[in-house]
Amino acid sequence: MPSITELAQSLVNGVGIGLVYGLIAIGFCVIYNASGIVNFAQGVFVMLGGMFTHALLTRLGLPIAIAALISIVLVALVGVLVQILIISPMWKRNAPLFAIILATLAVQLLIEQIVILTMGDQPRTYPEFSLGGPLMLGPIAIDYQLFWILGCGALMVILLTLFFNKTRAGRALRACSQNREAAALLGIPVGAMLMLSFALSAALGAAAGILITPTQYTAYSVDGPFGINGFIAAIIGGFGSAPAALVGGVLLGVVQSGAIVVFGAGYKNVVALTILLIVLLFFPRGLFGGLGKRV
Amino acid sequence: MALLKVRGLTKRFDGLQANSEIDLEIPEGSLFGVIGPNGAGKTTFFNMISGFQQPTAGTIEFAGTDITNMRQDKIAAMGLVRTFQLVQLFKDMSVAENVEVGFHLATKGGVAAAVARLAWFRRQEAEIHAKARELLDFVGLADQAEQDAELLPYGQQRLLEVARALAAQPRLLLLDEPAAGLNSHETDALAKIIQQVNGQGITVLLIEHDVALVTRIAQRIAVLDFGCKITEGTPDEIKRHPDVIAAYLGTDEAAHA
Repeated sequence: MPSITELAQSLVNGVGIGLVYGLIAIGFCVIYNASGIVNFAQGVFVMLGGMFTHALLTRLGLPIAIAALISIVLVALVGVLVQILIISPMWKRNAPLFAIILATLAVQLLIEQIVILTMGDQPRTYPEFSLGGPLMLGPIAIDYQLFWILGCGALMVILLTLFFNKTRAGRALRACSQNREAAALLGIPVGAMLMLSFALSAALGAAAGILITPTQYTAYSVDGPFGINGFIAAIIGGFGSAPAALVGGVLLGVVQSGAIVVFGAGYKNVVALTILLIVLLFFPRGLFGGLGKRV
Repeated sequence: MALLKVRGLTKRFDGLQANSEIDLEIPEGSLFGVIGPNGAGKTTFFNMISGFQQPTAGTIEFAGTDITNMRQDKIAAMGLVRTFQLVQLFKDMSVAENVEVGFHLATKGGVAAAVARLAWFRRQEAEIHAKARELLDFVGLADQAEQDAELLPYGQQRLLEVARALAAQPRLLLLDEPAAGLNSHETDALAKIIQQVNGQGITVLLIEHDVALVTRIAQRIAVLDFGCKITEGTPDEIKRHPDVIAAYLGTDEAAHA
């Protein structure tokens, strides 16, 4: 049995990775709520965020803040391109939703291959945003990067909530998610709103990838696991509001991290998927009840 | 001058002629009614005008521009705004927010503007908020502003839909059976609101099953039956027209009348 210290340490680590899952989950929710599409290319945005930032840091020697901002913008553009080139044409030809969802899976594999061909298959990482640390609370070590994840995560959720409730574009996006036809007949361009949702969702994924890379690594292959875990977090949270997705992510991160300490690393995903099944058995619409309510 | 000109508008669904060569001109500033029995093709006609369904043949001209096959949001942006026969509210939003979304066309700016011009943006938001209150006041829903739209009784949901359509600042307001499901008291309140809207210079096209309501408030009425326009005239002419009596009461009763 692991000691209390080990459990507490795993709790701290779990909150960090969980917040990142939460940000990815919010990305899933933004697109799903605007369109009913589950975008399986979501993990790609996370991977590209880390990869672009690494390239800008090492090749151009940019400071981390600027490299991160440029990466977020570039990944948002990738999201818009995916929407313009793949999603929008299928959408206009009335493709069934499952075909569009399958297409997003194809996009993920395609972008992975492009990354291998252009940037190589070697894992890479970059330093934490602030030097020094970790902060020691008795025997428990807290990486400074965790504070960056906490701070940036909280800031993004606050900004998103303000965006959805207080701005014209945010309200229009919510209107589309609740009733696309009524929204269009009030003059809201539904296609442009879908593009906005892809840009927003890609930017969130990129931010998640940029924040987590210093604590582990990034490579062409990290998109799969991040995408799946973000998806699980979104389902646990109920595919609803941003805070619900964040709670889903933190819950998943903490449980995974605890499972590694108690059962060993091999059980990480076994426990994660068991939690998912238990949640779905007792709360078929997710913990906060938003799943399947609309669209 | 005609604000809306419809020429030869036709819609066929596999074998079924839902609308057949309908011609109609709606003068600017008028309160115009379209009546007809159930299944006469009223809603199909409406759906084509608002860009919700594409016509098989014919043209629709609004304010001098051909809007046949134009996208719904662009038609709305030109000032042609509709409500639905079955209320289509944004159910997870408050009553006030529903109206605020309606102001989408009347406002400007996205996220960038919100960040770059914070003071201007705040002023615009405050203005939308105040204007939304005015509209809610107008339809008598000011006290329910913060409630979830979903929780309103049916009659009030209809009024909210009218307020939301007004927020989009229409030149032509299309109302699709607004009195359906309302009791006589609610219908009276609605009739008064429609007349006030028209009094502000907004052209209103009212499609209704309730003939009494239309003949009471409309200045001119067209009658549809089996997808064709059978006649058009003033309320008095329509009430006496033998084809109208036949369409509504059946030919036997018309013969005895």
